[in-house]
Amino acid sequence: MFKSIAYVLKENFSNVYRIFCIARYELLADMRDSKFGIFWNFASPAIQVITYWLVFGIGMNRKGYSGVPFLPWVIVGFAAWWYINPCITQGCSAVFSKINVITKMKFPISILPATVCVKEFFNHLCMLLIMFVALFLFGYYPNIYWINLIYYAFCAFMLVESLALVTSVLTMMWRDVKKLVVSLMRMLLYLSPVLWPAAFKNYPFMTYVMKLNPVYYIVTGYRDSIFFNKSFLAHPAMTIYFWIVVIVLLIIGSSLMYHFKRKMVDMI
Amino acid sequence: MKKTNEKYAVELKNVSKIYTLKQKNQGNKNQSFYALKDISFKVEKGEVVGILGTNGSGKSTLSLILAGISDHDGGEMIINGEQALISINTGLNLQLTGEENINVKGALLGLSKKKIQDIKNKVIEFAELGDFLYQPVKKYSSGMKSRLGFSISLALDPDILIVDEALSVGDKGFAQKCMNYMEKLRDEEGKTIFFISHSLSQVQSFCKKGMWIEGGKLVEYGDIEEVCEHYSAYVDQYNSMTEKERRKQRDEKFAERVIKKPIKKSFWERILK
Repeated sequence: MFKSIAYVLKENFSNVYRIFCIARYELLADMRDSKFGIFWNFASPAIQVITYWLVFGIGMNRKGYSGVPFLPWVIVGFAAWWYINPCITQGCSAVFSKINVITKMKFPISILPATVCVKEFFNHLCMLLIMFVALFLFGYYPNIYWINLIYYAFCAFMLVESLALVTSVLTMMWRDVKKLVVSLMRMLLYLSPVLWPAAFKNYPFMTYVMKLNPVYYIVTGYRDSIFFNKSFLAHPAMTIYFWIVVIVLLIIGSSLMYHFKRKMVDMI
Repeated sequence: MKKTNEKYAVELKNVSKIYTLKQKNQGNKNQSFYALKDISFKVEKGEVVGILGTNGSGKSTLSLILAGISDHDGGEMIINGEQALISINTGLNLQLTGEENINVKGALLGLSKKKIQDIKNKVIEFAELGDFLYQPVKKYSSGMKSRLGFSISLALDPDILIVDEALSVGDKGFAQKCMNYMEKLRDEEGKTIFFISHSLSQVQSFCKKGMWIEGGKLVEYGDIEEVCEHYSAYVDQYNSMTEKERRKQRDEKFAERVIKKPIKKSFWERILK
């Protein structure tokens, strides 16, 4: 068990340049595909935010939560969600989409989930930029608590990375895993406090169940640091629970990676 | 580069590789099949080995195992030194320009940033692309693509090279240029090279040792002239057979490779071994 974690960590850290290079050129290739390139990295999340704001903010007349208007509230939630969602769905096919590479050259397979997460992190930075502009327009200015965003972004990265380690290997064994995950992601959106606070007034027990979802920790974390001036030390129990989940996923993922690293080629 | 004192670059002892095949009309029942069976040989450092065999005899499987890409299922394999499989079109991104692709493929192969800068000019010169270097690769002709891919692969500096049908790309001039380069690697740098090709004349002129694989088994390993002679005699004999005889021989060979009682490991056994 420890051998496999050491192996995966070592392979990832000794190939940092390789990870960044692959992520960078994959982004570049995506941009070359379209005429406006980087414009879409900003435009598509902006369009989504406007849609949800029209439907939920104006159409259904949500007034916002805990004294925060709906639009800034939902933008911050979505900023976190749009990092987690593509990472999880693309993380499933991290190894499978590189099948022509891993069957033709000696390649450290365990770095592939990281390349997806790094690549999406760039898109996340674009989204954060949109988020900051919107927050300024609504009159929220940076304070010291915003630094917590760095911690929560790191949490999000570790969560999707460990999850991608697990799902990418499972997808190689059964392609169904990817389809399952993509369908579950739609459910996860509503089980996380992205569009609503994920709290049941009449059933307090259900609210606890919702907190078992590690995405809950990240999304509330983003909001806490921006609107409510709370640092990550304010929720010690949640923090410990979150890291236990991440570490367990990391252990499972590395064991799978380690034991199947030379077998993947035969699983096509 | 680390130089070990071991005499042999590659040592294989009874190496086998098993694939599972889906059976016709039998639902989930799978059949196990020897892609390679009891392969044993020793290759000294600096030796150049040509691998011969008809289609489906296990040459490419052997090359994958030698390159460390795929795992063998039984036996023992000892490799002294870094090995690399020369792959041509792998890792090229069609949207990016030729120059960017040097970075991409270099990174995929695990070269450092500095090393990529160092080799860039050499690659550009060797690939002879000229102004096409700044065009997206999707606009390249297939020969140009192969030239670029092959040139980047050469930047690797492994101790053991495995060349699987890689030289049958590009026009005659470029193929000759590649052959010259391979000869330089063979003569001046003393690399161990495994050379897989269907062109007997190419193998004969380039290699000193020959290996003939048929039906997943090692038939002969020895001097290239002898192996080539036996192999071409076998091919001639096979070609002179009638369609019926050929099919019979094929079926017999296949039946030999099928494993009657497959050892099935459960999912958890495989993970927690």
